[in-house]
Order: sequence, then C-alpha cells, then structure tokens
Amino acid sequence: MDKLLRNKKAIIVFMAPGLILFTLILFVPICQSIYYSLCEYKATSITGPKFIGFKNYADLIKDDTFWIALKNSFFFLVFSCVTQLIMGLFLAGLLTNIDKGRNLFKNIIYLPCVLSSAALGLLWMFIFSPKFGINKLIETFGVQDFVKNGPLWLMDTKGFIVLPMWVIAFVALWQYVGQSMMLYMAQISGISKSLYEASYIDGCSKAKSFRYITLPLIRPMVATAMSLNAIGSLKFFDLVFNMTEGGPNHRTEVLATHLYQQGFKYSKYGYASAIGVVLLILCLLVTAFINKVVKTEQYEM
Amino acid sequence: MKRKILATTLSAFMAASLLTGCGGSNGSDSGTTADGVQEITWMFWDDLDATQDLISLGYKETIERFNKDYEGQYHVNVVTTNLEEYYTKLNAEIQGGNAPDVFICSPGPQLSDYVIPDGVAPADGLCMNLDDALAADGWKNTFTSDAVFTQQTYDGSVYAIPLNTAAACCFYNTEMFEDAGAKVPTNFDELLDACDKLEAKGYTPITISAGTSWCLSMVAGYLCEEEGVDLAALADGSASWEDGKLEKACENLLKLSKYFQPTAQGDTNDVATANFYNEEAAILIQGSWAIGQINGENPDFESKCGVFQFPGCERLIAKSDSLCVSKDTKCPEACIALLKYFTDDTAQKYTAEVGGKIPVTNVEYDASKAPAQLSYVMDVFANAKGTFGFYNESMPTTETGAHFDDLMVSVFLGDTTPAEAATDMEEYYNENCR
Amino acid sequence: MKKIKPIRIVIYVFLIIMAIIYLAPLLWVLIVAFKDNNHELMVAPFSLPQSPSFDNFVFAWTAGKLGIATLNSFLVCTISLILSMLIGSMAAFGIARLRWKFAKLSLTYFLLGMMIPVHCVLIPLFSRFSSFGLNNSLVGLILPYVTCSLPVTIFIMVGFFESLPNELIESACIDGATIYQIFYGVCLPLGKTGLFVTGLMTFVANWNELLLAMVFISDDLKKTLPVSLSKFVGPYNTNYTQMFAAIIIAIIPTIIVYCAFSNQIVDGLTAGAVKG
Repeated sequence: MDKLLRNKKAIIVFMAPGLILFTLILFVPICQSIYYSLCEYKATSITGPKFIGFKNYADLIKDDTFWIALKNSFFFLVFSCVTQLIMGLFLAGLLTNIDKGRNLFKNIIYLPCVLSSAALGLLWMFIFSPKFGINKLIETFGVQDFVKNGPLWLMDTKGFIVLPMWVIAFVALWQYVGQSMMLYMAQISGISKSLYEASYIDGCSKAKSFRYITLPLIRPMVATAMSLNAIGSLKFFDLVFNMTEGGPNHRTEVLATHLYQQGFKYSKYGYASAIGVVLLILCLLVTAFINKVVKTEQYEM
Repeated sequence: MKRKILATTLSAFMAASLLTGCGGSNGSDSGTTADGVQEITWMFWDDLDATQDLISLGYKETIERFNKDYEGQYHVNVVTTNLEEYYTKLNAEIQGGNAPDVFICSPGPQLSDYVIPDGVAPADGLCMNLDDALAADGWKNTFTSDAVFTQQTYDGSVYAIPLNTAAACCFYNTEMFEDAGAKVPTNFDELLDACDKLEAKGYTPITISAGTSWCLSMVAGYLCEEEGVDLAALADGSASWEDGKLEKACENLLKLSKYFQPTAQGDTNDVATANFYNEEAAILIQGSWAIGQINGENPDFESKCGVFQFPGCERLIAKSDSLCVSKDTKCPEACIALLKYFTDDTAQKYTAEVGGKIPVTNVEYDASKAPAQLSYVMDVFANAKGTFGFYNESMPTTETGAHFDDLMVSVFLGDTTPAEAATDMEEYYNENCR
Repeated sequence: MKKIKPIRIVIYVFLIIMAIIYLAPLLWVLIVAFKDNNHELMVAPFSLPQSPSFDNFVFAWTAGKLGIATLNSFLVCTISLILSMLIGSMAAFGIARLRWKFAKLSLTYFLLGMMIPVHCVLIPLFSRFSSFGLNNSLVGLILPYVTCSLPVTIFIMVGFFESLPNELIESACIDGATIYQIFYGVCLPLGKTGLFVTGLMTFVANWNELLLAMVFISDDLKKTLPVSLSKFVGPYNTNYTQMFAAIIIAIIPTIIVYCAFSNQIVDGLTAGAVKG
C-alpha cells in the first residue's frame, strides 16, 4: 500500500493540474504585478513596461484620491468588523434563544448573502435616490416636502466620512451580516447545554452566562469571521461601483474602485499595479493582525 | 463505469469551453476569407442594436449600406462597447495584436495616444497616414474646408477622418422662458438675471451633471474662455494659471451654480439631460450631439427647445468624432472605402437632417427636415468667431484633462476655493506638463 | 400552561422588523418592475401597478441582453464548478493521502491564495490574456474563476480526505485497486458532502462575480449576468422601470434556488466558511 501511495506518477497526475493552474493564474501574475508597479506602463504604449523604480509609489503619496480611497477602505474595514461583530452576535444570540420560526428568520437574514451585490447595489441606489425611494416614502408618511429638503444620500459630499460612505457601509452590513450571524450561531449551538445549566444553578443570569461562557468559547470564531469581514471589506468593489461609481467627485472611491479607474479608465497599468500591491500588503497585514490579537488560545469544547 | 461517465462529461465540457473560446476570436477576425471577401472590423463606442441615439443609428445604417453595396467584395464586422469602457477594450485589442481595422476616437490627447504613442513620430504610430487616400479622386474637396482636419493633423499629415462636428451650446425651454419673462441672455450678467427670473417662477433654471465631471468642466471651459484663458500659452509656460483669470472663472462658476438643480452633484449626464427634456429645468448646457438624444426620447419637445450661444463667449466649444485606420490593416482599400461611406452625401445628409450634428462635407441637405434645433445651432455656429476644443481634450495629456475636470467639480462642491484651484493647476502644470 | 414572557414578544417584534427590512426592498423592486412607465413611478412609487405588464421584463430580457447573459453565467459557472471540484479534490487527495515530502508545503502554498485579493492580478492577467487572445472569451473567465475557487475547495476537501479511515484505503488496496480507482471509486463518493459544500460556495461566488467579468469581457453577447446588469444602466439610464425589471431578472434565479434548498444552502455555506 505504501508503494501505491508513494507512486511518483500518481503524485504528479494528482497535483500537477492544480499547481500549474495556481502558479500560472495567481502566483506568476502577482510577481508580474509587483514588477509592473515599478514600471511606467500605459496600455497604449508600444514598447511595453519601462522600469522607473518607485516613482509610482511616490505618485501615490501625492494622489489625493488615493488617500480618500485608503481612508474609505479603512473606514469600511473598521465599520464592518465592529458592526458585523455586534449585530452578528446579537442576532445569533436572539435566534438561538427562540424555537418557533428560527429557521425562517435565519434564512431571511441570510438571503442577501447569496444574491449578486451588483444587483443589490443598483437596488439600494434606487432606494436612496432623492426623487423617489426613501425620501418619497418619508414624505408619504407625512413629513412635508421631504423630497425637496431631505438629505441627498448618495450625492452628499460633506464631512470627513461622507454620507454616501455610511449608506454604502449600511448596505454592506445589511447584505453580509447573515454570514457572521450564521458563523456565530453554528459555534453557539455547539456549546454544551450542561455548561449553561451549571451556570444557572450557580446563580448566573442569562446575560452573565453569555459574558462568561458564550463569549470566550466563540472567540476563535470571532477571529475567523473578522478576517473574513476584513479581507472582504478591503476587496470591496461591487456595491460601491454600482451605487456611486466612486462619485461624487471621487468621494466614495475605495482602493478597488480606484485601481479599476486608474487601470482601465485611464489605462495606467503601472500605477494601478502599485495600488494593487498596496491592497495586497494591507490584506496580509490585517489578517496577520487579527489572528494575532483575537485568536489567542483555543478552548476545548 | 462511473469513471467513464465522468471522463466523457468532462471531455464534453472541455470541448464545449474550447468551442466558446473559438467563438470568441471569430468576432474580430479580419483578412480575406475563403470565398474572397475581404473582412474588416470597425470598433465603436455604442451598442448599435440597443441605442436610441440618432447619430449612432445613422452609423448603423452606413455600415449596413456598405455591407450591402460591397457584398461579395468587402464586409465590415462591428465590435461595440459602451462609451466608458471603449478605450480599455480598444487598448486590449491593440495589445493582443488584433487592432480593429477602423476605429472611432476623440481628437485631442486621446487620438495622440494612437497616432504618436510614447511620443514617437506619427509614421511609427498605430494609425495610417491618410494623405494619399484623401488626395485621390478628389475626396478631400468634398469637405467643407481644410480646417475640419486641424485636430487630426500631425506633422502636416492627416491621420484621422472627422465625421461630423458638434458644438456645445445652451439649450433652453422657450415656454418656461416666456412664462418667466426671461430674455435670451447675451452676457454673463444677463444669464444670471434670466436664472433669477426663472427661479422666481418656481422653475429650476439650469440642469447640469457634476456626476459626469466633463459636463461641468465644459461650462467651466466656457467661463475660462470668457476670461481669456490661453491654454497654449499655459502649456509652454509663457502664462500662469495664477494670473487671476481661472480664479475669476471659478467665481463665476460658483455664482452660476446657485441655479443648478439640487441633485447636480450626483446626477449623471443622462439624468441631467433627461431633466431638461422632461421639462424639469429650463436650461441645459450641452453639446449639440444631445439633440439626437432629446428628440429621440421626447419627440414633442422639439418645438419648445431653443438654442443660444454661451453668453459672453465669442468662440464655440466644438468637437468631432473621428475615424482612424490601423496601420497594420490587411485590407487598406476596404478601410478607405468604408471611410468614404461615412463621409458620402447619404451619411452626411443623415447627420444633419436626422442626427442633428453639423456635417463636415459640402452636402446639401433639406433644412426643413433637420431637427429645429440644428438650424439654431448652425446660426450660432455661423455667428461664432471660431471654435476651441473641450478643455479636458485641449490640455497636454488625458490625465491633465481629467485633473482639470475633477478640480472644477471640487470648486463647485466648495471643497476648493477659486484661488486654491489656480494654485493647484499651476503646480500640476509645472510638475507634469511644462 | 406556559406563560409567554414579555421579553419573548420583544424579540419577535424585533425579528419581524428585521424581516421587513430584508424583504421590503425586494418586494418594492418587484412592484415597480410591473409598472407601466417612469411617470407612474415618479407619482406613486409605492402603490401597486395600475396595469401590471411584463413588457419591462421582455425588454430587459431581449434588448437588455439579460437572457443571453443568464446563459453565459450558467455556462461559465457550471464549467468552473466542475473543473474546480475535479482539480481541487485531486490536489486535496494528493495532499491528504499520498505520501511525499512537499505535501504540507503545497497546502500552505494553496492556502496563501485565500488571502490574495483578485484585484492584484487583474492587470497582469488582462495584458497576458490579451496577447493570447483569451480576453473577450469565456475561457479567459473560467480560468481565473477555477483558480480562485481552488484554495477553498482544497482546504475543505483535505479535511474530508484526512478524516477518512485508513482501513478503507487498505482494504481497497488488498482488492487490487489502482490509486486512481481508490480516488474515483472510494474517496470521491465519500466526500460528496464536502463537494456539495465547496461546489455551492464556488457557484455562488462565481455567479455574482463582477470585476473580472467586467474587465475581461467586452462583447455584449459574452457578458455574464452581473456585468450585463451593471452595463444596463448605460443606455437605459433613465428608464427606471426597465432597470427594476432587470434587477429582478438578475436575482430571481438565485432566490428560487435559495427558497427550494435554503436549509441545505445556509448550512452548507456556513460549514464551508467555518472551515475556511
């Protein structure tokens, strides 16, 4: 049997397709991307990439839109990590405490996770359109002239974090909170009932047992869910693209949309690659950070 | 057994995916096919089957006419994208070595990217020198004047053929103007005055798009022209952005912006135009290419729509769609024949009578058939003391133009003061353009 | 008789409000999609359509090219699904069961892929594919889709194959099966649950993917659903009711499948994510 499992030919047959594909489509392009980020490379150029050192990165530092995009991406990161954690835990706590209709509510809240964010982005863009949608709804409920005087939602440009960013962040929470909720629910329902019973006998309230039993036991899952959220929010593209396309005046640009704009609207491949490299580094850093801080030790269950 | 089934299905899927792959390259194939037909591709920035734009529909007719007349000899395959991804896709095709034989392009830095990429000599660029073709058969004589080729000429040779000219004007709703007792303005103060009157009557005076930044930047371009900004002098460094002219223009933009519709900062170009033909606003500052869109969407509106030149400006912002021929085309004769179809009498007549753009040739057309707005635009054009390009397309590079667009939007939003805008432009030019 | 605690009522009221927040937007889009024209939308956006018609849907399906886009999406996602499950489970088997020096290392190599945002490889892939003529073809889309699904597939399937008892393979060996027969005949059928989970994740993710599809495909007849939908905004920017119909067309297949199998899907996706 050992001979069978050490068969060189078999190993190659099983591993080669995956490794080759992975290397050619993901690994080699990443190296290329890093090289391009050090090059002057325009799409219309007939000579191909020309090495210019760190000029693209120097330009990035001077690029106002890049800083806006970075700020918005960070805002997203923090917002989605925090709110998904709180809302996800809260909903999971509620749903594990009821019996009737648990599946129904669970499935409803999870539904947007499987729908296309491109479609949902358009949908919410219409809901927040000042002419009809939410302003009109509020007016129908009796607030006079709200369509005229209400907020412009996705078109507002004032403030450090502009209103459209909050709106988009809210929609993202709406769409993806089901994911976090499900992760926590799976973990909570895995905790043995006897632990809770013992705590009640010892005189713990429900809130206390949540604090001292549930929370520590789901800690590893918090790390998992958070890394998922964090990487997801750094990669965020579809909703922003379909709700505002980065406008008004680049105020809602995030790293991914800025990369897309620079690379495929202005054809600056080298510059866009530099944004891609920044994004890659951020993703690696954030994952490492979360796993280090949140995932300290595993409890046995 | 199971293995066999799996293997069969998989190979079937592989085959299917390969087939779709082949289907992928069919569209852009060019060259001579087995039955001796020379096939060429034409790349365009609007979906000819879905569009309601009358100019695009005219191009579609031209292509159909060409394919029918040259059946058995030449055939054009059309590749279309949306406007916003057009250059991306064009670049991809060029990089992949399947440059379309004929493609549309805006004059200015965009055209330069193809004629003189990386600043090489035009002969080493991607576009074909069209001088010989123009000289043959008196083709060049059909055009209104040599001036129509100004933006398409590099080192004294023509590298692209203009198809039509559009001018940016102010369209206005005559009913609203009458109702408000507003007069057609002839200078900037009168414009503000007319807006005041319109607003007093409860109309939104101006609809504009700052969500699509070039729309706002076009107005800013007019305001700069009024102040006498000289782009050529700015580019070679003999003038400074900080001489107060841009600052004044920006202040005027802010004055004017009080009369914009409240959602101007987020509305896209199409939404802003729709506000006008749906009669929600009185003035639309837009290129005459919008005539096709306006009349296509709301045919009843034609009789209410007037046109005036941007008040206080003597020159007009004008722009022409241009066609280039790839230097590497295998069938240059077919390409030239196609270009000639775009500038022949039938096509140019359509341009004027239906499309509402200004023809580039000396074609005679029936002015009564043309949209009412076109004759107003022609009047404006005749009275103007010349034309100038879009500001963002008259600057040294596409990025500079985009920077100017964004800066004007940011002035409009109040994020940048007029003085800061001037300093910013001066710094940008010093770093990137001079 | 059990007393109903007030806290219980509060919980249910809260959950019902949540359900409304989740379902109302979808219902609204559905209502508007049946409205005749923009005028009705502007005047009474929240009332039921006066004369419901399918015209908007027909328009979006044909002129908006969502019909062909649905077909493309289906084609791309199915082929990607099958390829990624096959290649992924083969590699997972190689890592989990075969004995060679670099098994662990290659697992780490694959897992790195989970942290890499696809945006980073967009430009090199695009320029490479352009020169191979793979841009604007569905194959050019399937390749990266398969690759991006590999890490998750491999991770979950490695877990599955490792949990299989050794005796199973031993007895198959004694019966004289080749290594390929063990894989197809013994291990793969046992890993069905795992395959279902990964397949689901792959399919959903690829079905909704926008960025790659948007960059790689320019031909209208080859666009996938999310791209056609996003680009639908272009020419029909102000025809709102048709856009609403387009949104419905884009999400309705997923909703139907979800309603039919919601429990399996929710559990499957979560199981996948827990392991991921």
